This record gives sequence, structure tokens and C-alpha cells, in this order.
Amino acid sequence: MQEGAYAGLGPRIPLRDLVPSPRHAAAVWLRNALVFSKLWKGVLLPQFLDPLFYLVALGFGLGTYIARINGVPYEDFIAPGLIASAAMWSAAFETTYNVYLRMNETRLYDAVLATPVEVQDLVAGDLAWSASRAAVYGTSFLVIVTAFGLISSWWAVLIPLFVLLGGLCFSVVGYTFTSLIPKIDLYSYFFTLFITPMFLFSGIFFPFERLPGWVEVVAWFTPLFHMVEITRGLATGPDALEIAAHTAWLVVVSAVLFYVPVRALRSRLVA
Amino acid sequence: MSSAEATPAVVAAGLRKSYDGRVAVDGIDFVVEPGICFGFLGPNGAGKTTTMKMIYGLASIDGGELAVLGKEATRQRRAIKQRLGVVPQETNLDGELTVRENLTVHARYFGIDPDCAARRADELLEFSLLSDRAGERVWALSGGMKRRLLVARALINEPDLVVLDEPTTGLDPQARLAVWRALDRLKRRGVTLLMTTHYMEEAARLCDRLVIMDHGKIVTEGEPGALVLEHVGREVLELQLAEGCDADQLLASLDGRLEGHDFAEDLLMLYTSDAEALLAEIDHRSYPHESAIARQATLEDVFLRLTGRSLRE
Repeated sequence: MQEGAYAGLGPRIPLRDLVPSPRHAAAVWLRNALVFSKLWKGVLLPQFLDPLFYLVALGFGLGTYIARINGVPYEDFIAPGLIASAAMWSAAFETTYNVYLRMNETRLYDAVLATPVEVQDLVAGDLAWSASRAAVYGTSFLVIVTAFGLISSWWAVLIPLFVLLGGLCFSVVGYTFTSLIPKIDLYSYFFTLFITPMFLFSGIFFPFERLPGWVEVVAWFTPLFHMVEITRGLATGPDALEIAAHTAWLVVVSAVLFYVPVRALRSRLVA
Repeated sequence: MSSAEATPAVVAAGLRKSYDGRVAVDGIDFVVEPGICFGFLGPNGAGKTTTMKMIYGLASIDGGELAVLGKEATRQRRAIKQRLGVVPQETNLDGELTVRENLTVHARYFGIDPDCAARRADELLEFSLLSDRAGERVWALSGGMKRRLLVARALINEPDLVVLDEPTTGLDPQARLAVWRALDRLKRRGVTLLMTTHYMEEAARLCDRLVIMDHGKIVTEGEPGALVLEHVGREVLELQLAEGCDADQLLASLDGRLEGHDFAEDLLMLYTSDAEALLAEIDHRSYPHESAIARQATLEDVFLRLTGRSLRE
């Protein structure tokens, strides 16, 4: 049978199959939160430490050879960006292998979709959860870098809110990829050709000023670039207009892209 | 009888479904009256699972009409699923959760409040004899326990209709008996059951009414006992013919004594009202056979008569 197999984008879906029910999405969110509450102290703990290693190795290690970037010490420069990337990595893991296994291996989604939960509720609940988890990771790292004295503006208290939004955007991107791939092996493309380059070239580790102009243009199309601009702005003293523009980018991309996994999962699971 | 009970649990008319041009369900009509156990039998690929999936909203409908619990299947999917319990063919329990959490988390998808969910979960664990495993992860359960948990999970919303797709496939006889007992209890409570199965004795034991499907179509429908009488008769004489035995002549010699027959390879199936008497009448020297079995006709005979003896898939 073809059920659950790669189905591409699938046929168009009516609008009523696109609007999630908050109550049913919340049930999906709660299931994921329950599983996380069992796992975070064990298998998920290393992920909390990941950005810390970058901070120590690059910020405090490499940073001692770099005087200042744009007038701030190197570790102060990269710390806000690492908050953004912590959220990105969290969302990337949550919406790739985890979702794929529930969809195709354990077939949990078949069980959920046989209840009043519909595909759009399932996707919305998973995305909301993934964004929440990203916010947990991002905020944890915010606390760490604050303890290191790397945050200079009180506006940084707003960072968790924006990390939630950025986490949502990363999640939609990951979920979209998951909904469209026929095989689990294809995640190597996602991580090696998308997530890792985004991590390295979104302005976390060096500013764009001395690079050719097209680098920033390419970066503009990735969510991490906007997220880093927001967290760095809030950590050092924001320009409200710029923050608003980057926020708008994340909101629009998240909202528009939501359509793809809902449509693809419907054709995949409710063919 | 309330008006809700009077509405048929399922009404299908000209129901169709294809996957990539391959016809899975080819225009079927059936009505499931409330409070009964209704069975779907058929070889692999006959369209049973697809029919179940259309009923519980996991397959889209290409043509025809389908009403479940008085509601239109495509437009009122969410409302239908609210009143439905589903035991799928594949075990799809939540492996990250404990046995009990599989029930309470499932309850949340139906919007059941936590107190009520906790109470029902405990009742259902008792019902499915899993109370002492409540805190374990589901992968620690045996196949039979997982099946029972799937049945329990399907009952968390106190459904009006439970759809079971091969609920006992792969179970040992004891585990199968435990599932049957659970289904018996549900029947007594007045829950409508709709099930597919490959096991004829299961269908004969549980189903009040059944259909046999083949190649996407319903080939017959009725009560199990009546179907046996209608298509086979009361008894069967199975003759394994020896070499040199002319089946056509044998049949000719029994003309008027048979209600029907089937002949495949060397096995001759004679349908009659009294198999022992028929066996006594056969001239063993003229028609040598290696073995003869006189027995009661079963649903299996009906099934094989209507769907053939050749292997599927």
C-alpha cells in the first residue's frame, strides 16, 4: 500500500483543512511536552551544552586573539547569536527525525488522526511544541551568557519571546522538509547543506561588513540571519524599526510555509 | 430505543476508492445496524482495510456516499471521530509513554477532562487486565497485551461505534480469547462493532452479520449461519482423490444427492445435508480416494467457495 509513502505536495486542500483548532493542537503540544519532561534530564541534556562549547572555544579561546568586533569584545559579539542558534538546533532536531519517526515508523500519527485531531491541528501542535522547546534552549543559554556578563541591555528580557517566534520559523522550515522527503536518509542534505551553513554564515561569528555584498543577500533569505539580528539587537540595545522588520520576516515566512506540511501530510497520511 | 440508536451506525452507497489508478473499493453498498457486530471478510487486498479507513477518516473518499453515526463522512469528519473508537491493524501505541499514559494522553485528543480521563484509564486497565502493567513503557508488553491496550485505547471516549481492523491477527490462542471476551462485553453493553478478520471462526463467533469482499466488491452479505446454509449446505465431505479416480463420473453417480461441489487439484468438496451417509454411498473401488473427511460446513467453506482457492498477493 502507498499509505505514508512519499506523496510530494499532494492535491490542494480546502481552507477549512488549513485552520487549526487550538484545543486539539494543545492536546498534541501536551503530549510532546510530557515526553520531553521525561527525557530532558537524560538524553537531551547534551544539547543544552552545545552552544556553551562554541562560546568557550571561540569566544574565550579564539576571542583572545581578536581585539574587538564593531567595538565589542568577541565573546560579547557571538553570545547573542549563539542564543539564536541554540533555538535553531533545537527546532531542527525536533522537527526532523522525531517527526519523521512518529509519521513513518511508529505510525503514531495514524493513531492521533483517528481521533478528532485533524492534520492541521497535529502540525500546529507539533510546531508550537517545537517552538516552545527552542525557547527553552534559547532562554537557558541566555541565562548562561547573562551569568558570564555578556549581555549589556535590559531589552534582553524580551529575548525569550523572540526566540519563541524564531523557533517557530525554524520549526516550520524543518517540518516542511520532513513532510516532503521520501526517505529518512535525506536529512544529511538538510543538516549539511542548510542548517550548518546557516549556522556559520548568518552573522553569528563575524559581521558582514567586509564580505562581498551577495553574502548578506543570501543570508537575508535564511531565518537564522533575522533571528541573530534580533537577539544581538536586544542584547546590546535595539533599534525598534529593525527589530520590527526582522520580526515581520519571521512571521510571514512561518505563516506562509505552514501550508506546505499541512498539505503534504494530508496526502501522506489521509490519502 | 432512542432515536440515536435507531440511526444506522454506517450507511455506504456506491462507495469507491482508488490508489494511483488501482481500484481498492469498487462501489460497495452496506448498512450496519446499531448494536450489532458487523464483520468484513475477504482475502488480502480485497478492500477491507481501505473501507475501514474511509469510515474512520484516514482515507479520502473518491465516490459514492458514506454516513457514519448519521453524519456525512467527508464534511463531518471531526464530529464522527469524536464518537468513534479505532483499533488499527498495525500497532501504533505511543512508545515514549507508559501503558497508562497511552490512555490518558489519547483521552486528551478527545477533549476529555483529566479527572474523567484518569478514572476511565483505570477502568480500562482493569477491563483489559493491564492494571499491574500501568507504569511500564509499552515496548515491555507482549503482543497480546499491546492488542488489549489498543482495544482499551479505542474505548477511552466511550464510543458509539468501534472499528477493529484485524484485532487478533498474530495473537496466540489465549490472547485471542482475551480479546474476544473484551469484544463480547462491549457487545453486551450495546456498542456497535465493525471488524475485519481473516479468521472464520472469529467471524462466526462474534459477528451477527457480515459481508465477504473480493476485488473491491461485496460478494455476499448475511448472518454467518445463514450464509453457510445458503452457499454450502449443512455438511461437507472432503475427498482426497487417488490417482485414476474420475471425478466427473463420481459426480455423475451422485447426481441429485449433492447441494453443490468444488474440485481443486485432487481435492473434491461435496456439499450435502449428511456427509456420513454420502460417504457410505460412494463405491470405494470404482472411485478410489486417499482420505475422506465428513464434517460440518463452516464459514471457511463459504469464503473459499466465493473467493476461490488460489493464493492472493
